[in-house]
Amino acid sequence: MHRDEIPPGTLYLLILKTLARSGEMHGYEIANSIQRMSDDVLQVEEGSLYPALQRMLIKGWVTATWGTTAGNRRARYYQLTAAGRKQLTVERSEFERVVGAITRVIEAV
Amino acid sequence: MNWLRELARRLRMLIHRRQFDADLEEEMRLHLELRQQEHLESGTGADDARAAAQRRFGNPAYLKEESHIAWGWEWFEHLVEDVRYGLRMLRQSPGFTSVAVLTLALGIGANTTIFSIVEAVLLRPLPFPEPDRVVQVLQTPKGLPYVSVSGEDYFDWESENHTLEGSSITTWTQNYNASGAGEPETVAIVRTEANFFSVLGADPALGRGFAPGEDQMGKDHVAVLSYGFWQRHFGGSADALGKTVELNYQPYTVVGILPRWFNYPQATDIWIPIDKTVQGTSARGSYSYRVIGRLKHGVTIEQAQSDLSTIAASLAQLYPDTNRDNGVRVVSLKSRLTQNSRPRLLLLLAAVALVLLVACANVANLLLARAVRREREMALRASLGASKTRILRQLLTESILLSLAGAALGLAGASWCMSLAQSTTWLPIPRENPIGLNTTVLIFTVAVSVLVGVLFGLAPALEASRVNLAEALKESTRSVASASRWRRALRDGLVIAEIAISLSLLVGAGLLLRSFARMRSADIGVHAENVLTAAMALPNTKYRTLPERRAFYDQLLAHVQGLPGIEDVALAQTLPLEGDHTWGSYPEGASDWRAASVPETVNFVTPDYFRLLGIPFQAGRNFTPQEFNRALSVSEEFADLLRKNPNPGIAEHREFACSAILSRAAAQALWPNQNPIGKVFVSGVIPVEVIGVVGDVKQTDIRDAAGPQAYFPLTQELNNWFYPERIVVKTKMAPESAASAIRTSVQQLDSSLSVFSVRTMQQVVAEDMQDTSLQTALLCIFATLALVLAAVGVYGVMSYLVTQRTREIGVRMALGAQPRHVLSLLMGHAARLSGIGVAIGVAMALTLARLMSSLLFGVAPTDALTFLVVVVFLILVTLLACYIPTRRAMRVDPIIALRYE
Repeated sequence: MHRDEIPPGTLYLLILKTLARSGEMHGYEIANSIQRMSDDVLQVEEGSLYPALQRMLIKGWVTATWGTTAGNRRARYYQLTAAGRKQLTVERSEFERVVGAITRVIEAV
Repeated sequence: MNWLRELARRLRMLIHRRQFDADLEEEMRLHLELRQQEHLESGTGADDARAAAQRRFGNPAYLKEESHIAWGWEWFEHLVEDVRYGLRMLRQSPGFTSVAVLTLALGIGANTTIFSIVEAVLLRPLPFPEPDRVVQVLQTPKGLPYVSVSGEDYFDWESENHTLEGSSITTWTQNYNASGAGEPETVAIVRTEANFFSVLGADPALGRGFAPGEDQMGKDHVAVLSYGFWQRHFGGSADALGKTVELNYQPYTVVGILPRWFNYPQATDIWIPIDKTVQGTSARGSYSYRVIGRLKHGVTIEQAQSDLSTIAASLAQLYPDTNRDNGVRVVSLKSRLTQNSRPRLLLLLAAVALVLLVACANVANLLLARAVRREREMALRASLGASKTRILRQLLTESILLSLAGAALGLAGASWCMSLAQSTTWLPIPRENPIGLNTTVLIFTVAVSVLVGVLFGLAPALEASRVNLAEALKESTRSVASASRWRRALRDGLVIAEIAISLSLLVGAGLLLRSFARMRSADIGVHAENVLTAAMALPNTKYRTLPERRAFYDQLLAHVQGLPGIEDVALAQTLPLEGDHTWGSYPEGASDWRAASVPETVNFVTPDYFRLLGIPFQAGRNFTPQEFNRALSVSEEFADLLRKNPNPGIAEHREFACSAILSRAAAQALWPNQNPIGKVFVSGVIPVEVIGVVGDVKQTDIRDAAGPQAYFPLTQELNNWFYPERIVVKTKMAPESAASAIRTSVQQLDSSLSVFSVRTMQQVVAEDMQDTSLQTALLCIFATLALVLAAVGVYGVMSYLVTQRTREIGVRMALGAQPRHVLSLLMGHAARLSGIGVAIGVAMALTLARLMSSLLFGVAPTDALTFLVVVVFLILVTLLACYIPTRRAMRVDPIIALRYE
């Protein structure tokens, strides 16, 4: 099955949105969730989630706590903060602005 | 505030970075394992499942690195690595490290020391609140640049000005006898107006300053003590307040103790109130006081200047006799206090900076040589993926480590020098601020050492990071060594710079040395050998009348004359080179007395003074006893007149006629090319007959030509108790040995008197040259340091070059080259370098010498002899430094040389 790389700059948006919808998640769940939600079209190079999550921790968009998975394994769960929620709207409107612009260009007669 | 919280998070990550690394590792492992599990469950084989999981995940090592970078501490971690690695490298070559650190310690330490003095004297504001508002006011009579202030003029300024918040008149420092408890002691006293401390904005640490009105007769027996005096005499006890100190036999109640830092006027022990009457200060036309003021808020010095100038102009109209052509000058107190030391300190600072540059060049040379040995190491690091900037940073870290180590060592030495400079009171610099290690000095040192580290490290580091991998990794070092033409140019440039800088410093030191020699041999006009001088202050409170004083003088002279080993004894008011008492005189009958007026230094002496100091009579004769007695009665009558009329005007008072002896210069100035004997001049308001002419004596400064001077009999001294009496003796033995005998004689006559300032005449002369001698000594030390460093540098470079060319030399010798050909080949290079260095150095030295021309005496800044000697000397030193390694190369056996790889 063909899978598309995610468009550059949208990784934060995807992570933020995923966490906003599902509350707490660890990295593996986030990767699966993104893939599932996009009907397997979008595929993250899974490892790149982690540097992105580190950056988001520093920015204060997410916090992390250690918990246990269903399979009884230690995992780090990420959670959206207020700042993260605010960032989600920012990223989102930015994304829509770009997509809108691109749409206008390709639909122009 | 967001960035602050972000910084806090980053810091937390830095502190717990081990934990964070472990966490990251764990969650990545979990991810991979879960994915692998998923594949296994869908029926993939174990190996394929792991491979698939890893494919989807990407490169974990790279991703971990990326996450790590996200924390933003990469630079810090690199720095830590670089420092660790650098320290290891420096430890590995202790020889190189200790030479470099020592060189830098010398340079940085010297710079820190001189800077700490510059900081305390020139940069730091005076230690008063709003120091920019504190000014000194001076008078400018008859076009003189500035003089002290007349009391009466001052009181008019004080009441009429609109620009000063307050002003205070003070005396110059006077020597008083402090007695009552233990050994009598001479203390430095300044009398001030009551508001003195509030004008400066300084509150006593204990007790109070003077209360308004305490500067009037009757209420003025109160004293404020310096911290030092308080410690010495009261052991720092608060009980001192209310106690009595006896000054010139008068009791003064201690009302205040100043804080430790307070030191204005410099070295004062006790402040007491001035007597604010005209008699207590001085009449118009007589300038003997110091005036400080505090500008009102928002008033500039220029505004105060024009305000006071207006008052001075109206005074000139009211009192044309004394105040015509008499202006005022307002200057900031700080610029007044530092005007003499500024050029000297800046010259020293420039000199040490140059020494540091030479030190840098030396260390840069060492680093260059080291870079060759480390070429393979750099190539290895580059081939393992270190970027060029990373290598550059590593090398710069090493050089900054070197300079910081040098700075640490230098600081240790410098702080010792600083405490020495602070504790020695004779250093001729303003002392309002203490010298010492403070934040500014520390910042300076650290900044200088980082700058220096980059300065000497950058070129070698750039050079080392330009590695040619293929070449460097090959076994042969020869190809590498000969590859870099750039490196050779750099090395040559450093040698040239070292030669040029040391040359200019040597010329500066040479010029000062010549000035110093000229001063030492300058003719002061007296024979200073076997002469001892001492001072005592006969208090006018105990010796009230002139006959009383005269009686004491006569007894003392007779007593000292009778001591064994004493050839001659005399008394005087001031010593040669220390005269600061000037009167205006004009020839009797001059049509315009103002135009004919000559400022004369005056001295009051006993007749033997001339014989004792070898001042020759060129015409006329010495004072007779009759003239001495006449002088006494004139003084008494005149003092009487002044009591009735403090301002007797310019009328010539015939009834006071007396006699004086003039110096040759004074006679020439009053009556050019005439016989002055028997002529009469008017000094102040008294007609004076010239009875003799003596040789010129430099009365103020060894650097100046001897000015006009008049000698009066000692008892003519009027009420001028500003000046202590100077006892001058000529001894048959070493003059110092007479000191205790003189002290005993004075105390036998009056046990409450103390004798102070005991110096040989030669010491008096040396003190006058102290500025120059200190400056010369320091500059010579700096120049020598630069020269040694430069010689070591040239030697190092040449021996390195020779080693590199050993093979070439071997080939040439094997092919039959004569030793002298090889010698000239190598020496030719050195000669070229020193030629260029000398040319640049001479140009630099000419600039430096012009800048320091005001500090020279009797030597032109372009003095050909100094330049010639220094140039020849420096060329010889460089050629010698080059000859030693060259000779060594010449003795090399061609066989060994050819094998030398």
